[in-house]
Amino acid sequence: MTTEVFLQSLVSGLTQGCIYALIGLGFTIIFSVTGIINFAQGEFVMLGGMLSYFLAKSAGLSVFPALIVSIIIAMLIGAVLYLMAIRTARKASVVSLIIITIGAAIFIRGIAGELWGADPVAPPYFTGAGSISVLGASIQFQALWIVGVTLAVSIVLHLFFSYTMIGKALKASAMNRTAAGLVGVNTRTMSLIAFTLAAALGALGGVVIAPLSLTSYNVGAMLGLKGFVASSIGGFRSHIVTILGGIALGIAESLTIALNWGPFTSAYKEAIALVVLLLILLMRSRKLSQEERES
Amino acid sequence: MTRSLLETKALTKAFGGLTAVDKVDLSAEVGKITSVIGPNGAGKTTLFNLIAGVYMPSSGDIVFEGKPLGNAPPHKSAALGIARTLQHVLLFDNMTTLENVMTGQHPRSRYGFFEAALRLPKAHREEETISLKARQYLNLVGLGMCAERNPLSLPLGQQKLLTIARALATEPKLLLLDEPGAGLNALEKQSLSELIRRIRDMGISIVLVEHDMDLVMGIAEWVIVLDSGQKIAEGTASQIQKDKRVIAAYLGEEEAVE
Amino acid sequence: MLATLKKNRWSYLAVAAFLLLLVLLPTQLLAEKTSILILIGIYSMVTVGLCLLMGYTGQVSLGHAAFFGTGAYLSAILSTRYDLNPWLAMLVAAIATGILAYLISYPIFKLRGNYLAMATLGLGIIIWILFRELSQYTGGPDGLSGIPNFSIGGFVFDEKLERYFLVWLFCVGALLIAQNVVGSRAGRALKGIHGSEAAAESVGINAAQFKMKIFVLGAVYASLAGSLYAHHAHAIGPNAFDFMASVMVVTMAAVGGLASIWGAVFGAATITYISQDAIVELGRSYPRLAELDVVIYGLILMLVMIFLPKGLFVSLRDALDTWRRRRAQRGATT
Repeated sequence: MTTEVFLQSLVSGLTQGCIYALIGLGFTIIFSVTGIINFAQGEFVMLGGMLSYFLAKSAGLSVFPALIVSIIIAMLIGAVLYLMAIRTARKASVVSLIIITIGAAIFIRGIAGELWGADPVAPPYFTGAGSISVLGASIQFQALWIVGVTLAVSIVLHLFFSYTMIGKALKASAMNRTAAGLVGVNTRTMSLIAFTLAAALGALGGVVIAPLSLTSYNVGAMLGLKGFVASSIGGFRSHIVTILGGIALGIAESLTIALNWGPFTSAYKEAIALVVLLLILLMRSRKLSQEERES
Repeated sequence: MTRSLLETKALTKAFGGLTAVDKVDLSAEVGKITSVIGPNGAGKTTLFNLIAGVYMPSSGDIVFEGKPLGNAPPHKSAALGIARTLQHVLLFDNMTTLENVMTGQHPRSRYGFFEAALRLPKAHREEETISLKARQYLNLVGLGMCAERNPLSLPLGQQKLLTIARALATEPKLLLLDEPGAGLNALEKQSLSELIRRIRDMGISIVLVEHDMDLVMGIAEWVIVLDSGQKIAEGTASQIQKDKRVIAAYLGEEEAVE
Repeated sequence: MLATLKKNRWSYLAVAAFLLLLVLLPTQLLAEKTSILILIGIYSMVTVGLCLLMGYTGQVSLGHAAFFGTGAYLSAILSTRYDLNPWLAMLVAAIATGILAYLISYPIFKLRGNYLAMATLGLGIIIWILFRELSQYTGGPDGLSGIPNFSIGGFVFDEKLERYFLVWLFCVGALLIAQNVVGSRAGRALKGIHGSEAAAESVGINAAQFKMKIFVLGAVYASLAGSLYAHHAHAIGPNAFDFMASVMVVTMAAVGGLASIWGAVFGAATITYISQDAIVELGRSYPRLAELDVVIYGLILMLVMIFLPKGLFVSLRDALDTWRRRRAQRGATT
């Protein structure tokens, strides 16, 4: 593999990985605050991309207004998902909640398929289709946007969680829901905010990558899965590790395709995330069985 | 010379920086009711968890019937003859009271998926035995009338009796009772004392963790006192009552509460 | 004694009625829908295994269709490429699937809840990818065709009606075995594990071992169903065993009631009818509704789990029980 190919893979991996990072943050935020794995997280990514395309096309909105409106719509859907499905289920068991969010995911996916058909679409680039060349690798403007947005989001989130009242309340709920409740934090509102915030992050990821990699009604499943892997690398707790994990996953995928090694053709690309996932779960399972005997 | 059914030797369990059980030497004799008492946080439940195999000791040994237990997991120690009730009542609410007791017969029966699937005679025979024995134990604790009811519909006192019946159904040699009197009224505690004596008379050795001093002093033949994970005294009930260290430990607790 | 404790006149009657219905449906009542009835039988077997796992031990499996697939693919490969007798192929497939399930279960059952769900999800997808990519053996995305029929001696199961009875023979057998297991010592152990794993362990139940056993049983059921499917459809492809297929089976289990064996049949019937029949009919009148099955599964899953977490079938049955009890009480007091 030449240096050029390597660098190019690195760039595309970084780009893809940023999206995984954003999705992963959504999983982490929801899980740490509510204890629920939101299987519908990937669908928000899909919604972001699809909405921005159709808003631009049919409503004639230009890029940034379309972006904002898409995210707002996704946030509303996230809120509705929480209020109608999760809150209503109340004392549902883990199994039930898992099934409910899966149901929501495929429901949203199906409606998207109905409304917008099955053909992949690509919304317009933010600032055109050009690219710059760095050390022999070509980096598209959109890719710069993606990395830039991810960086900006990470910083904003950090500030949000550390310095704003709501952010601190969310962090408290994430650390210990009971204690947070005792000091006056309304945990149900926090859960609602968590879902809405996660939807926004997902949609943002979707909006920003759609011009680059096309999107269609069923991209949510695999993207969601990869975001989940990123989140699990971060232990569903650490934001920074989730982001780094997502990026690492993206790069790993990219390099594996470039290597094209042995019988593992690029069709196995999807398997990488799964293998990483299973490795993490295996490690966790070992750790748990050790812990079990310790205590 | 009476034998020890259960012995712990320098048994220690540490959770990170906290030593919950500290080099405890304990001996429970066959056919006797031994009681472990101590202020809150003394390590009594941890001790039980160690004996039952829920926790792995940090160091020390547990010897049962002369043989070391060697980190046996809970389901193995049940098969070996150590039964326990838990501090919080954990009943199976997805089956009847009788079925709850029948689960206790699990280690004393053998037929599995295969015999069950094909309804082989062996399965039928064992089911008969299981059901019969379960009824006997249910009657023993006085819940014979409640056989078909859902356990959650029983008042707390009866739920506790149910957990005892279930533990007895494992046909143990040693029964560990973790605060069986908690939440019971005076009358229920008296029946409980009589039940415990009856169980002992059946040949089952008992180790009892309990906070209610009257209950303990009434039935315990040997008392071991723990404080902050260490054994500070042991003896007969009357000896313990007069032991200065024990009084100090409990007074310390009272002061802390005030 | 060795049966559900609630066995009475009614349940014998119900079973007899069910068997009668099984005979009448393809011959008199719904003869033209025999294909769908066959599929219902096949999916009932898959669903029962899942119900036992999810309902009795509380473990989630989002990759169950993978076992359905291994049964189908192994049967297909062994009977086409290696000319193995279909019955033998089915047996080999079931054993192989059982071993696979056993190996998988060992590490993953240390996980709980969400993590377990994710592990099964991931494994299911990996197996599906293997179906799709190992083209040498599996025929790749196009799958395998030319799968022969079952036969006994000279009698070949080439008629739909014959295959119907074969499938339902297996299905009813599987249901009865499941019923027997549930009413037995093993069934109590499983329920105990679900009720409180700590308490179950304290009475000598090795929870880990039981979870593994029931997982393997469910996998074997799915494998047998897969083999039956292969020799019925005569051609198989990876798409019948993807994540959506696993979701479909979960939906069947949810609708039927996670801990109900006969409910599994109800759930399988409902969802199979919806996906095979209702949507096809609707699709003719409203062509844009092609993807509707996805929307409907999603809706059903959400609604059932939110409002009827015990499952549609079980809730209906409980409601019926309550109504009968109230009637009896009223009768007693007058």
